[in-house]
Amino acid sequence: MKVSYNELHGLCRKAFQAMGFEDGDAGDAADMVAWMQLYELEGLAALNRGLRFLLEDTDERPPEIVYADGDLAVLDSHGHSVLKSSSLALELGFAKARARGLAVIKIQHCHNRQRIMGYLARLAGRGMNVTAFWRNAQDVDEAVGCPMIEQVVGFRANSSVPEIRVYAVREVPEENEPNDGITLVMANHVDLLPSLRSDYDVDLLACHEESKLLACRQRAMQEGIEVDDELWSRLKALSTRLLVEATEDSRSGAGAGSTDND
Amino acid sequence: MSRNHQGARLSSTEQRLRLRAPDDVMQLERLGSLHASRLSFVRSLVRQMAHEKWNITTTRFELDALGHGVAIYCLQTPSKRYHGVIFSQALEDSARSDRVIAEAWDVTFGVVEGDVDDALLEQMAANVPLQEAGRQHPRLLVLSRANRSLRNFASFLEALSSGQQPDPEWLTRVGYLYRTTAVYGNGKFGIADYDRLKDNADFHRPFSAQMLGVYLLRHFSIQQIEHMARARAPETAAPLATSLKRYLGIGNSTGLGMAPFLINHPQLVQRWVESRELALAEVTAQVPGEQERSRLLALLKRAETHLRQTVTDDHEQTLRNQATVASLPELMTWLEFVPLSPELWQELIDWSHQQHGLEAQELVNTLLLELYPSIVDRYEDLMAVEESLELTPDMPLVHLKQVIETHYDWALRVDFSLAENRHWFWYRSVEKEEPRLGVRDTEAGADKEMKLAIAPRDADTHAAISQYLEDHPRALVVEFLIQCPRHKDIVRRIQSMASTSFGEIRANLWARDMKPMHLLRTKLSFFGASRFDPKSDRWVRITLFQGAPLVEELNAEPQDPVAFDDWSFPLAPQIARTVLPEMTADPRQGNTTTVGGMS
Repeated sequence: MKVSYNELHGLCRKAFQAMGFEDGDAGDAADMVAWMQLYELEGLAALNRGLRFLLEDTDERPPEIVYADGDLAVLDSHGHSVLKSSSLALELGFAKARARGLAVIKIQHCHNRQRIMGYLARLAGRGMNVTAFWRNAQDVDEAVGCPMIEQVVGFRANSSVPEIRVYAVREVPEENEPNDGITLVMANHVDLLPSLRSDYDVDLLACHEESKLLACRQRAMQEGIEVDDELWSRLKALSTRLLVEATEDSRSGAGAGSTDND
Repeated sequence: MSRNHQGARLSSTEQRLRLRAPDDVMQLERLGSLHASRLSFVRSLVRQMAHEKWNITTTRFELDALGHGVAIYCLQTPSKRYHGVIFSQALEDSARSDRVIAEAWDVTFGVVEGDVDDALLEQMAANVPLQEAGRQHPRLLVLSRANRSLRNFASFLEALSSGQQPDPEWLTRVGYLYRTTAVYGNGKFGIADYDRLKDNADFHRPFSAQMLGVYLLRHFSIQQIEHMARARAPETAAPLATSLKRYLGIGNSTGLGMAPFLINHPQLVQRWVESRELALAEVTAQVPGEQERSRLLALLKRAETHLRQTVTDDHEQTLRNQATVASLPELMTWLEFVPLSPELWQELIDWSHQQHGLEAQELVNTLLLELYPSIVDRYEDLMAVEESLELTPDMPLVHLKQVIETHYDWALRVDFSLAENRHWFWYRSVEKEEPRLGVRDTEAGADKEMKLAIAPRDADTHAAISQYLEDHPRALVVEFLIQCPRHKDIVRRIQSMASTSFGEIRANLWARDMKPMHLLRTKLSFFGASRFDPKSDRWVRITLFQGAPLVEELNAEPQDPVAFDDWSFPLAPQIARTVLPEMTADPRQGNTTTVGGMS
């Protein structure tokens, strides 16, 4: 079925609230999912895959600063989804970059990293150049079809859309421990857009350019956004957790009269 | 520029100095006393339609004798074409409800961007009547529904079919044949997102597409009642007199559903109120001449009569109307006899502020705005805003504390430990998510409270910040939030709104003496509502477009834009209720582009 952006954002926000997200986190998470879906980057499919994890994640610990100095910070996300835990880590990087010109933030132990893009778009909208880098977390074994995949997402300051490169690295380095972190570089004054070097042996898996992404957005606004019916129903069911059962008292709480046949 | 000139522009500094204090303007009771003004959305829309020579034609009008069927109107603007599609159906009395929990209505309708082909009409016929339960097309800009005012409908039909004119007094009690019960825009149920309209020259102003939908419904209501009269008594039926057509508006019935919008869109509220206040500040600096004095006297007289003709069963609103009416003779006498001085308008406002009730004060302000269209109308293009509440993470936390104490002092003054200050909670019911109010500690549901009350959240965050600063006096905002992330949302709002004056409604929405009606009237006044007719302290009926020019007057391309725009505070027409010439008009005659088909 097709839905509007506003509907998608609104339902996601309610569903996240129903999952126990604080209001601010629910709004941020909805932004991230809806942003990806708007640009046809499969935000809802990613949410669907991670929904069970989100519902079972009852750990309330906020991200913790492991190390910080003037222009560098390392945070432990305690295995949370970036939907729940990344916004303040990114805001910390933003603050440092504004003060020092450039900042590096490493978020360790986080899930669903691709969804961080929506929040990066907000930082870019506030005038920051941002690049995020991460590798796949699974054990890499090319023999069984599990290559090392790297993803780089770069936003130019004040641009609503990124340049995205996803590629498989053929020459796997010796140090290839599973990596569930994400590294971000933010710069006040210089572009950090990804540009692949040709002297490395990589397979380009996906390349999203700014112009193509803008076309996706235009299409979504004209035709609506395609969503999976089953997932939509699931999100709706979740969102009803926020609603209060109706009683005679509650019906009078709306303040309406009993008849409108006048 | 010298202030001796009419329409003198102020320096921004002088304009700011003349602004009313936000602590006064943003009091809930004062906001709940606002009247529709020339900056209200219905007024702006009518001016825009006339200025840009919009043209509205009937392209399909297929109703049976009972008025049931389909009508389609084509709107041509200089840049685009739109269509209003209206479905009218029979409705059991038992199903007629103005509440959001209703599932059927007398009419349902939508405004479509572009043309309506058979496939789209079929899709709309299957979904628009279902409203929230349907899946709407992304080319719909507006989705709405309305119920008949049964008494007015019956009396109008009876009169017209017997060749008489209805008694205008009916419209002083209820100013319409139909009242809408929701007018949806911005992506609801699959329709187009507002984002799509931002760059649309026709509907970039807030709620302008929704108001167009209501205006088309008004036109339909006139055509439909004449059609039904003609079908009932073809030999005797009379057309509705033009003065009565003008006096016919469209009602709106609304409840607490309006409240969340006002709280959740503080940047929009800021634009609406600030525009009005900036315009008023400029007006107060104008040096009045005899012409302006006479004009204001005439407007006061008209408003006085309008309010006398406004009938409501609500005791409190009746008293407020009477108090306003009682204030006006003295105001008019004063205005008639005082010498014209450069600060006359400011003196008028100051005196009214001291002596009169809030509704009379705001009436004076509203009418002053009418005197200087060239100053005031510039602000209608400033009513929209790209909304975005963002953090300033590198702000020193002690600075944020100061910001709260400076800009949210009104929230910090409330003692939330007192039961009377934490009486209500806001929630959504499982019944179509209808917003409702419950009594805390008495009714179930407080654990699912909507966080609409900003004041207690400000106070809570201020307390947390104060405590954190004791151990971390040099901390940044982001460092505080990493430790206390639940405050992120409200900190974002505080930081974003601190640079504005008129975005936050300065009231404790938990307080026992808080009146939700004031919230509803705040928003409705910006829409352009008149005839506030409360049905309880949280439910109100109002009228839109009463007195507005008719479609045929718009299509005739008015030569005098000032007269065309002068329709506020309309008066009941003096009608000779005798038999008029037999009605022969077909709704499509004279303004039809495609008879019986689609365009």
